[in-house]
Order: sequence, then C-alpha cells, then structure tokens
Amino acid sequence: MWTFAWRNLLTRPLRTVLALVGLSIPILGVLGLTSLSDGLKNLVGDTLSQVQGVIILREGTPSPVFSQLPAEMEERIRAIPGVARVAPEVWQVAPSVENKTISGNVSKLAAKKIADRIKRKNQSPDSTPGKMDETQQLVSNIFDHPVLAGQDIRKHIGIKSAVFPRAMKEGRFLEPGDEGSNKIVISRKIARDNPNPETNQPRKVGDQLDIAGELFDIIGIYETGSMILDVVIVMDIDTVRRITNVPKETVSTFYVEGDDPAHNDELGEVIEQTLPTADSRGASEIMSNFGHLMNQLDKFLLATVALALVVGVVGIVNTMLMSTTERFAEFGVLRTLGWSRSNLLTLVTAESAYLGLLAGLIGFALALVFTVIVNPLIDSTGLSLFISPFNATRGLLLSIIMGTLGGLYPAWKASRLVPMAAIRLGAR
Amino acid sequence: MIIVENVHKSFRNGQREVHALRGVNCEVRQGRAAFIVGPSGSGKSTLLYLMGALDRPTSGRIVVDGLDLTTMSEVEANTYRREKIGFIFQSFNLINNLTAVENVLVSFMPRGVTPQLRARATELLTDVGLGDRLEHRPNQLSGGEQQRVAICRALVKDPVLVLADEPTGELDSRTGDEIYRVLRRLQAERQATLVVVTHDRRFINADDVVLEIQDGRLLGTSGKSRAQHDFAQA
Repeated sequence: MWTFAWRNLLTRPLRTVLALVGLSIPILGVLGLTSLSDGLKNLVGDTLSQVQGVIILREGTPSPVFSQLPAEMEERIRAIPGVARVAPEVWQVAPSVENKTISGNVSKLAAKKIADRIKRKNQSPDSTPGKMDETQQLVSNIFDHPVLAGQDIRKHIGIKSAVFPRAMKEGRFLEPGDEGSNKIVISRKIARDNPNPETNQPRKVGDQLDIAGELFDIIGIYETGSMILDVVIVMDIDTVRRITNVPKETVSTFYVEGDDPAHNDELGEVIEQTLPTADSRGASEIMSNFGHLMNQLDKFLLATVALALVVGVVGIVNTMLMSTTERFAEFGVLRTLGWSRSNLLTLVTAESAYLGLLAGLIGFALALVFTVIVNPLIDSTGLSLFISPFNATRGLLLSIIMGTLGGLYPAWKASRLVPMAAIRLGAR
Repeated sequence: MIIVENVHKSFRNGQREVHALRGVNCEVRQGRAAFIVGPSGSGKSTLLYLMGALDRPTSGRIVVDGLDLTTMSEVEANTYRREKIGFIFQSFNLINNLTAVENVLVSFMPRGVTPQLRARATELLTDVGLGDRLEHRPNQLSGGEQQRVAICRALVKDPVLVLADEPTGELDSRTGDEIYRVLRRLQAERQATLVVVTHDRRFINADDVVLEIQDGRLLGTSGKSRAQHDFAQA
C-alpha cells in the first residue's frame, strides 16, 4: 500500500511539486533560523568560556563600552570578603583606526549601495567584478569596528584568568614599562583587516597602527577565536583615557577575581548587594541571560515560521482535497473490492505524509546549501551557521507531522464516501 | 445460493423520496448465471449493489452463501466483499498507476501481496491472453484488455459470487462476445455464481436465470428461456 501511495504522488508531478514548494520553504525557514540561533549560542558560549572572572559594570548597561563607574569604587570592591583581585578597565569604541571611523563606514556603505544601483542600471552584471567583496568588507567594517580596552597594567598582572595574555600568539603582552605609552596588543583579525599599506600584508609585531590620528606600536598579537573578543585593541588605561577624553575619576568596568573561581556567582551577588549601582556579570550569568534572550528570540522566530507552516499545511490540504475529489471513483472501486475505511484513511494519509517527508528533505537540503553559501560570507564575523542533527531531525519530523495533518481531513472525507455514490460521482 | 426476501430500498434525492426497490424476492442457486434486465432507473444496479453489501436494504433480507448481509457489521461487510465477492464495472475502473498484475491484486494490498497471490494473478492473466501485458498500465491496454484485467481482478480471489454491472457497455459487440466467453468460462471453472446487470439480451443463454425488473418490482422471468428460472416472486 505504501508503494501505491508513493506512486499516487508521482502520477500528478506538477501538483506534488507545488505542494512540496509550499511546505519545504517554511521548513527551510525553521532550519535556517535554528541554525542561526545555534551559531549565535556557540559563538557566545565560546567567548564566555574564556571569561572566568566577574565583570562589574554600571547597572543596566548592556556592554562595557556603555558603562561608567566611579574609580573610587575599586577600594570598596576590594574590601568585600572573598575578593582576591580587582583590575579597573576603560572600554571605548576606537575613534578611528587607519582613518576608518564607524560612522564613515556606514556612510560609505550607503554611498556604495546607491552607486551599485546606478551601475547595475548602466552595465551588464558581468562588468562589476569584486562588487560583493567590497560591500561585504564595508558591512564587516561596521560590525567589526575595533574597541579599545584600556587596562591598569600593574593590577592586571596578578589576574590569573585574564583573557588576552593567555591568547597571545606573537610578541608580548603589556608590561608595567608600557604605562602611558602608545604600545598596543591587537588581534590577528585586526592585523588582517588593517594590512600594511606598503606590503599589503597583515600587520605584525613591530609595525605601527594609526588610532585616532596617533601612531601606536604593535608589541603583541593575540587570537581568542571569538568574534566578540577579537575586535579589541588592548593598551594602557591612561592612554585610552587620553585619546578618548575619559576623566581619571571614571572607569568602565572592574575585572574581579575571587578566592575561589567556583563561587564567582555568589561573589557577584555579594558585590551587587554591597554596591547597588553596580551590576555583576559572571560568565554563567551572561550565558543564562543570553540563553533567555535567545529563547525569547527563538519563540518569536518560530511564531513567524509557524504562520508559514500553516500556509504550507493549507497547501497540502488543498492538494490532497483536489487529489481525493478526482479519485472518487477509484476510492469507490477500492471499497467494493474490500478495502475498509481505515485502509483508505491510511492510503491518503500516507500520501500526505510522503509529501511532508519529501518537503522536509528538500527543506533540509536547501538549508544545507544555504549554510554552505552563507558561512564563507560571514566568516569574518566569527559566526558560523550550523544545523545540528537534533535540529535536522526535528525539522524533518515537523515536516512529516505537518504533511500528515494536512492529509487527515481529505483522508477522512475519502473514507466516508459510500462506495456506490463514489463510483457514480467519479463516473460523471 | 442467493436469497432475496421482500427487499425494499428507498433513499432521498433532494426533497423527493425515491423507492428504488419495492418488495423484491428471488433466489439464485450456486454456480448459476443470472441476468438482471430492465429499463434505466428500474432498480437493477441497486439490487446488484445490495447483493455486494455495498449498501443496506431499507427492509427485507438478503442472504448470500449463508451470510445475512442485512445484519453484517461494517468490518464483516468489508471482509465479505474482499473474500467472497468479485465486482466487474462497465467502465472497467482499473487503477491508472498500477500495472495489470497489480490491478488484479489490488484487493490484497492492505494485507500484503504474497508470492503465491502474485503467481495466481499472473496465471489468470495469462489464461485470458494477457501474459505479455502483465506490466502494462491501463492506458497501454485496449478496452477489451482492460475488461479482461477487471475480470481477473474479480476472480483472483475465487469468489462465491461475481457481480457485473453492464460489463460490455463500453465495448463493441465483438469484444463484448469475447468478454462474455472469458467470463462464462472462468465462472464455470470456479463454480461461482454470476449476476449481471445488462441491457443487452444477446449474451443471455437458454439456461440462464433472468430477473426482469421495472419500477423497483420484479415482473417475472423473461429472456430466452422462460421455463428455466430460479426465482420466486411474492
């Protein structure tokens, strides 16, 4: 009977294909969105696994760049039982790097888009080689614009879980002798994104980089592998203050290490109780908040996709209803030959389940192609779309369930036909 | 043996109550061929389908091979049709996306087709001259060939009763003759009872039972042999 059901689909190829398109696109949506969500979770998870201390920010601020705390808070934190080390930091978006500013990149992108449109009108598509690379680079520049992290060098030396010193690949990290100087440690990504104009090779230790109109000596290159961390240029805290006009009395964050890293969460709670204006973020808390945010986002995205799925199911219902209406005589004949109502119900439902299975496989294949195409384009961001076996199975099952549900009503209708009436109706 | 006792069948057609059968009584002995004849709308097909348990009489009783069709459950009626009845239709009603041999075996599909059943279907198709058409689809067969496949579909289960509704209605007279020859030969070999609804009396033999029906009533016997009949009228 399953072979018979399969052949029934192949008998009406155009209708089958249209129904498949209707259901496979929502499945592609489900898989695409879950792969994006998984990719983001992996990215943030990788980043946070490297941050093992507690970060103190101003309450309610989303990131260190937006946080401002009084510098004198350092002593009050240090006095809290369980705190072993406290290191102040100043975080600022780099005013400019190699004369590229974040606002300039946005303007350039807009201008580029307009120019592309004009070019497209006047030229054939083949005559714009490298167009994607340039646009891609501009988009990348906006999202990857470097952030300056000014560290109190002496106080950071004692930090055991410091992220950047542990990620050094070339040169050395900041030392007390670098205080107040224009010495920087950059990531490999920043070195690549800002090649030496003379050699067109990535910057290396010993090269200089123009930040806010001043030249800085690159003394070390690190690589954490995280899109979020690898946009940071590390330098002395007073140097950042000088070039970004941050007063001495203000810091962005404090990096705090406790006596026992296993109790960072408890330490964070104590700090928040002692200092009501401060917000403590441990890796697990950030991960939990991020997970909560992602879950909310997932729900929103799934609600959107659910609408598309409903449309897909309606398509299947329509296809199967048309198919069953055309086959009244066939169902009547099958009933006269001894097929039961449940046999007919199974036959028609099997056909729609096959539709669901096929749509799921096509949606999965499209999603795989989508990730293969998109991943190289977003490689520079460190984000990687990923379809887990769990999500692939879930998408496939969802598709089969949707297909089966879509076939239930037409199947029920077909099974309720009186054989004689069905044959007569079909003969008309 | 078929026993039809005072069978009435009514149904609604819109606002109108249609009395398709009005107290029909008849008997057909096992292994005989019976022809139901009469004008269009007289109730011929209704009587045929009631014998096949495709519908239930409004009142009265129909017994086939000792089974009372009027008291059967839905499941029992399915089993009865699957195991004891062979249907042949005017429009052949083969399934287009199945081959000839698969069409013959379609009754068995829900429960699985065994190699023995497949061998029997092949043998039957070969017997009716379609040995080289086993894997052909209906649209690759002529009308006569399609009806021969339909006959095989009806007889592959060795039914006690074969019900045929105008089996040559869409065939030319020569092909119709051939179909009746095949149908009668296979029926005789299997000792199945044959009940045929027809307008065409050319195919009725002298020793056949003829049930002449008009306005839902059995008028009496007619056809080529009035003397040999197995019906009783109330």
